[in-house]
Amino acid sequence: MTDYAVDFQPIGRKGECRADETILACARRLGVDISSVCGGRGTCNSCRIRITSGALSEPTDIETGAFTRQELDNCWRLACQTSPTSDCQVEIPLESMTASQRVYIEELEIAIAPDPAVKAYHIQLTTPSLSDQRGDTDRVLAGLNEQHGVACRKIDINVLRALSPRLRNWNWECQTSVRHDEVVALGPWPSRQLGLAVDLGTTTIAGYLIDLNDGQTLAYTGAVNPQVNYGEDIISRIDYAIKSSDGEIKLHELAVNKLNEMVTNLCAKAGTSIEEIVEATVVCNTAMHHILLNLPVKQLVLTPFSATANLSLDVKAHELGLRIAQGAYIHFPPNISGFVGSDHVSMLLASNHGLTDGPVVALDIGTNTEISLLVGDEITTTSCASGPAFEGGHIKHGIRAVEGAIERLRITEDGVNYQTINKARPIGICGSGVLDALAQLYLAKIIDGGGRLAKGNPRVRVIENRAEFVLVDGEGEDRKSSIVITQKDVRELQLAKAAIRSSIQLLLEATGFVDEDISEVIIAGSFGSYIDVSSAITVGLLPALPLDRFHQVGNAAGMGAKLALVSLAKRKEAEGIASRTHYIELANASAFKQTFIETSHIGRYRIKQGKREAVT
Amino acid sequence: MSGELTKAVADLQEEEALKLTNDWLASGMDPNAILAESRDGMELVGERFGEGEYFLPELIYSAEIFKEITEIVKPKLKAETQKKRIGKCIVGTVAGDIHDIGKDIVVFMLDISGFEVFDLGVDVPPEKFVEKIKETGASIVALSGFLTLAFDAMKGTVEAIEAAGLRDQVKIMIGGGQIDDEIRKYARADAYGRDAMAGVSMAKEWL
Repeated sequence: MTDYAVDFQPIGRKGECRADETILACARRLGVDISSVCGGRGTCNSCRIRITSGALSEPTDIETGAFTRQELDNCWRLACQTSPTSDCQVEIPLESMTASQRVYIEELEIAIAPDPAVKAYHIQLTTPSLSDQRGDTDRVLAGLNEQHGVACRKIDINVLRALSPRLRNWNWECQTSVRHDEVVALGPWPSRQLGLAVDLGTTTIAGYLIDLNDGQTLAYTGAVNPQVNYGEDIISRIDYAIKSSDGEIKLHELAVNKLNEMVTNLCAKAGTSIEEIVEATVVCNTAMHHILLNLPVKQLVLTPFSATANLSLDVKAHELGLRIAQGAYIHFPPNISGFVGSDHVSMLLASNHGLTDGPVVALDIGTNTEISLLVGDEITTTSCASGPAFEGGHIKHGIRAVEGAIERLRITEDGVNYQTINKARPIGICGSGVLDALAQLYLAKIIDGGGRLAKGNPRVRVIENRAEFVLVDGEGEDRKSSIVITQKDVRELQLAKAAIRSSIQLLLEATGFVDEDISEVIIAGSFGSYIDVSSAITVGLLPALPLDRFHQVGNAAGMGAKLALVSLAKRKEAEGIASRTHYIELANASAFKQTFIETSHIGRYRIKQGKREAVT
Repeated sequence: MSGELTKAVADLQEEEALKLTNDWLASGMDPNAILAESRDGMELVGERFGEGEYFLPELIYSAEIFKEITEIVKPKLKAETQKKRIGKCIVGTVAGDIHDIGKDIVVFMLDISGFEVFDLGVDVPPEKFVEKIKETGASIVALSGFLTLAFDAMKGTVEAIEAAGLRDQVKIMIGGGQIDDEIRKYARADAYGRDAMAGVSMAKEWL
């Protein structure tokens, strides 16, 4: 089996690629982040590359379907379908890279009195002598008891192993961190007591370093979840985990390594050491939770979608390979179901202010959208597969929220006005832009309520019987330079928004309420934070309610993770939320299909007895 | 056959389609010819759906129109020609998977194309497919699965059919989420369809 030399430009990474290895697999192996929404199946077209020298295997049927004749002649290929047949140089355009996505995290301060699981005690010990030959640890535990009235019998094995030399270094004075009845960390006096709160998202990870004594955020950081290279959505990722022999381990390692990197980053920003991080919380959806904990994932995706564990868990950080204080625990708040995880619980924890009696709808929009309807103490929840359309997936020129992505759009008589991220040259359109586009096309009557593109419009062109609307004119005939929205893109968006709207409708019907009753709509998550709510109402993604009833709360899941980190009372509250939640499985709801089809229509309406009723 | 009814059905002109149906029937036109034009119209609907021009609501609407036409024409059809079906097809979403919207579209399109369709629903264990083949003598089996983990269930279903000694008397096609030729080979099916239209064309070829 021959190996060929591959040179990835402009990134400048060189390596060897086997003749039977795809360029995508080779790139992954060398740490080059080529985007692969579908995980390498050949269905998403996001791994577009160009060969600038050398030879590749013959284009597959999938590639001839994905590119025009001219593009193939210009050496455009799909990395997941192509293998080298000689040494070669491969150009990866910016839009095919996954890195440097805008990561939405914000500095939210907590307004509660900290009541952390870990408490710190300063102890001063007498030196061992021939007349006092007690063991070092026995001395420490006795000191805790005598000086603070804390009865503690357990100590983490790693802390135990490092204890003797350190006590001698510190001259028998130290700070002990005690969690319930266990010593989880030992440090010099005085040390800080810090905690790590993580929102482990499918796409982006947010990490916060918190002072456990006063709840202040010392530093925060965000990163793209490196697992995206193995599939942008949960199902593709789990598929990879099952199909390859070390898939589960690999995904786990990717997550843990990234977390360790983020911890180092946070400590550098705050000027602390990892030994001072004595507790952590992680919130995530159920699949991410299982991958991080190395729990089996297969049963999550087969009906009836059972989780291995939904209850809250306390697991030693060192068990998972997370490098913080040696004996520290990670607290995992509870999940609700196979598809609704602790991140949703965490979001509810942070947003649940209980100020209104009327029903509140809280949703986190992503590839999977979780929605809860809260009335008094009752919580009814469901989740739906909204698909990647709102994250740029399955849309011809859809991309993630990277530099150059169109994020805002208005259609006027003069043409299309748009705004891109960092005001860079437009290279594609991201979720918020795609939503604006749909709303604007509808308002300009370029698409009708059914979603059909009007072929007579000057900006609508028809190529091979397929209609598309030109958002940004390209320089030449090359598909690459004009940015369009196609008829198929509109259909994908209709499916995505129908999934979400029909789920909201089903929750209302299950609890006996209608749109107008909703007192507040809480929109959480990164996509939700950037959208123009009026666009969402215009297309019927959200009910037509006055704008002041909508609140975009940013990373509420991260906020909830912080609350659970610093407060035992908040952990109990999270458990209460999970136990009070009544989960509805959409597949079981007989009205779902009908409602789904009805809500695929674009416009402002309410659903009455299964049919649309326009709302002015 | 003027093609006017085909056009009315394809353009979802309900009133026009029903008017033509009633007028033509009254003037003594062969009911089968009327149905044939309607079916041609439905095929066009299917094509437009495949191109994205029509969407789910249009598909449902076309089904309603077609149903209304059939109701009007049925009494005039001779008893023996009423149930003239071109073939028998068993359709179901495989065990472990509950996605049905795609499957329902296939069932619908096979039905209007003249097949007698047995829809087994979702999460269908392999034994049920085997039983149905024995019961109906159907020659085409269509397995639907959206989740990539349904592929194992598809394979299991094909194997169950083999074990029952029925493999040679049926043609099996698969369809759903991320299906490609690799999956087809893995499941040992005869063919795969990228969408409902492809599935129906395949079924017709197999007659």
